[in-house]
Amino acid sequence: MIAEVHFEITQFLHREAFLLDSRRFAEWLDLLADDIVYRMPLRATRENRDGSGIVEAMTFFEETKTSLTTRVNRLGTTSAWAEDPAPRTRHFVSNLIVEQMPDQQLVKARSNFLLKRSRAADLSAEELFGERMDVLRKEKDGWKLVTRTIYPDQTVISMMNLSMFL
Amino acid sequence: MQRRNIDPQILAGIKEKMAQGLLPQWILTDPAIYELEQEKIFARTWQFLAHESELTEPGSYVTRWLVDDPILIVRTNQGEIKAYLNSCPHRGTQLCTADFGKKKTFICPYHGWSFNLNGELIGVVAGDKVYGEEMNKEEWGLRQVPRLDSYQGMIFANLDPNAPPLAEYLGDMKWYMDILLGRSDGGMEVRGIPQRWVVNTNWKLVLENFSGDPYHVQTTHRSTVELGISPKDPLYAGYGHQVVLQNGHGINVITASAPGKNDRPPYQGLPEAMWPMFERNLIREQAQVFSKTTVFVGSIYPTLSFNSPVHGSEGHLHNYLNFRLWRPLGPERVEIWSWFMIDKAAPESYKEDAYRGYISSFGPSGTLEQDDTEIWTRVAQASKGFMSRDKMLSYNNLLNYLMGFDRVQPDPSFPGPGLAYPTCYLDAIHRATHENWLKLICED
Repeated sequence: MIAEVHFEITQFLHREAFLLDSRRFAEWLDLLADDIVYRMPLRATRENRDGSGIVEAMTFFEETKTSLTTRVNRLGTTSAWAEDPAPRTRHFVSNLIVEQMPDQQLVKARSNFLLKRSRAADLSAEELFGERMDVLRKEKDGWKLVTRTIYPDQTVISMMNLSMFL
Repeated sequence: MQRRNIDPQILAGIKEKMAQGLLPQWILTDPAIYELEQEKIFARTWQFLAHESELTEPGSYVTRWLVDDPILIVRTNQGEIKAYLNSCPHRGTQLCTADFGKKKTFICPYHGWSFNLNGELIGVVAGDKVYGEEMNKEEWGLRQVPRLDSYQGMIFANLDPNAPPLAEYLGDMKWYMDILLGRSDGGMEVRGIPQRWVVNTNWKLVLENFSGDPYHVQTTHRSTVELGISPKDPLYAGYGHQVVLQNGHGINVITASAPGKNDRPPYQGLPEAMWPMFERNLIREQAQVFSKTTVFVGSIYPTLSFNSPVHGSEGHLHNYLNFRLWRPLGPERVEIWSWFMIDKAAPESYKEDAYRGYISSFGPSGTLEQDDTEIWTRVAQASKGFMSRDKMLSYNNLLNYLMGFDRVQPDPSFPGPGLAYPTCYLDAIHRATHENWLKLICED
């Protein structure tokens, strides 16, 4: 049973990455539950005794389905200059650990991500990496993303903008 | 410092072109200009370090940068704010590499010298046995930043011991800072920590974008007009006053409604229950300006900008205050530090909604700022070739700062201080800022 779920979640995350890299954003939105909580807190450098270097109070993304839809709609305008001409992105997702939650319809999925982006003729690729904690729910038409929390490893983001989704 | 000299005649040529409303393109990212800026601008002007709400109790500390100098800012047991070079005076090791925290003692990991919150050397490993009794510990404390001062909770430092006081340097900008930061009981508070990211552009370009460029809004941010988030009227960001202040500072007081229309909520849409508090904390003229404004956007020269807009998040309009530091990392690189601030006295639910409004619009993921970063990068990329860098200006490599040049006169009826022009689609702040820049880099 768990092997089957693991396979389904792997396929889900790979397909999601494919949709994002192919700029099929409307189809990507279909993978998100209507009540999705999509966040990207900040990373800070802290002394080990002070605990986690994650600062939940400030984020790069604090999104709902509505706000993510607005972001997608913006990419469909004629003047989203950061994304037109579109930079090329590759989302690499790995190190997946899937755990069944007490509610049988829900699973927790922890993964590492690496995003590479190539803009115009720039010789160096931008990159962003870290981990993602997801919760997915089995709905009538398949798995949906219910929460996604993206933890970047960098305290200073080395990309000029976060015009993509992670 | 090894100095790449710039011919005084070349500098005189810049002045002449500026007087005609033109700016040589080569000065944007020229490495020799950048060296001059480091020495004559960043090391001599007041630079923003932190907001007091980031240092809540004795022992609270944050680490920041003054361009390339690491700075450690602490609150002492007496409640005072102090700022030190974050480098052990023994052998130069960076003392604290954490971004923030709370401590009573800072211990250098190299040889174990330790320092208290007052910067005093309080511990030397093997002390007298190796240095003898003649070591005077008082001579080996942390090196203080020469000047430190604050206004309305904003902490600034200056590396020039002879610089004018902060209050004098800010000049009439204080009047507007009172509105932005001093309107509410308890002032403003920083939420979390600043967002930080890097853009390959020059600090002057990003500064300029916030100082005096509401004109870019209708094109750079047209996607939000297409979505119906921003008004369709191409003049909307131009309604109001552009105010030129001293020392390169400037502010745009944008009403965003055509004269006589007044279709915007008063006090930037802040809750009505807060209005009497604003009127109590501000003088009449300040309250008058504040009540009619939709957006305040401007800069405190040279590397601090702010934006206080009204922004929609899922149908509701909210105001917030965003300060951003443009930390130069070189002639073509800027590290942006962006703080979200909100009135401490605002209702918690309002604070939360305003924060969401900020995340949706500004910062590296903001639907507005994403496009800014792309444009700023393009200007820097297109300004480093032989044609744009030619100091003899043989290729018409002069940029246009002619908007409103000799055409728009100040409006004497504006209640605030400064030279207030009755439109924000104007290059008046840019011209004044560039003149100030040239004056500073030409000083001995």
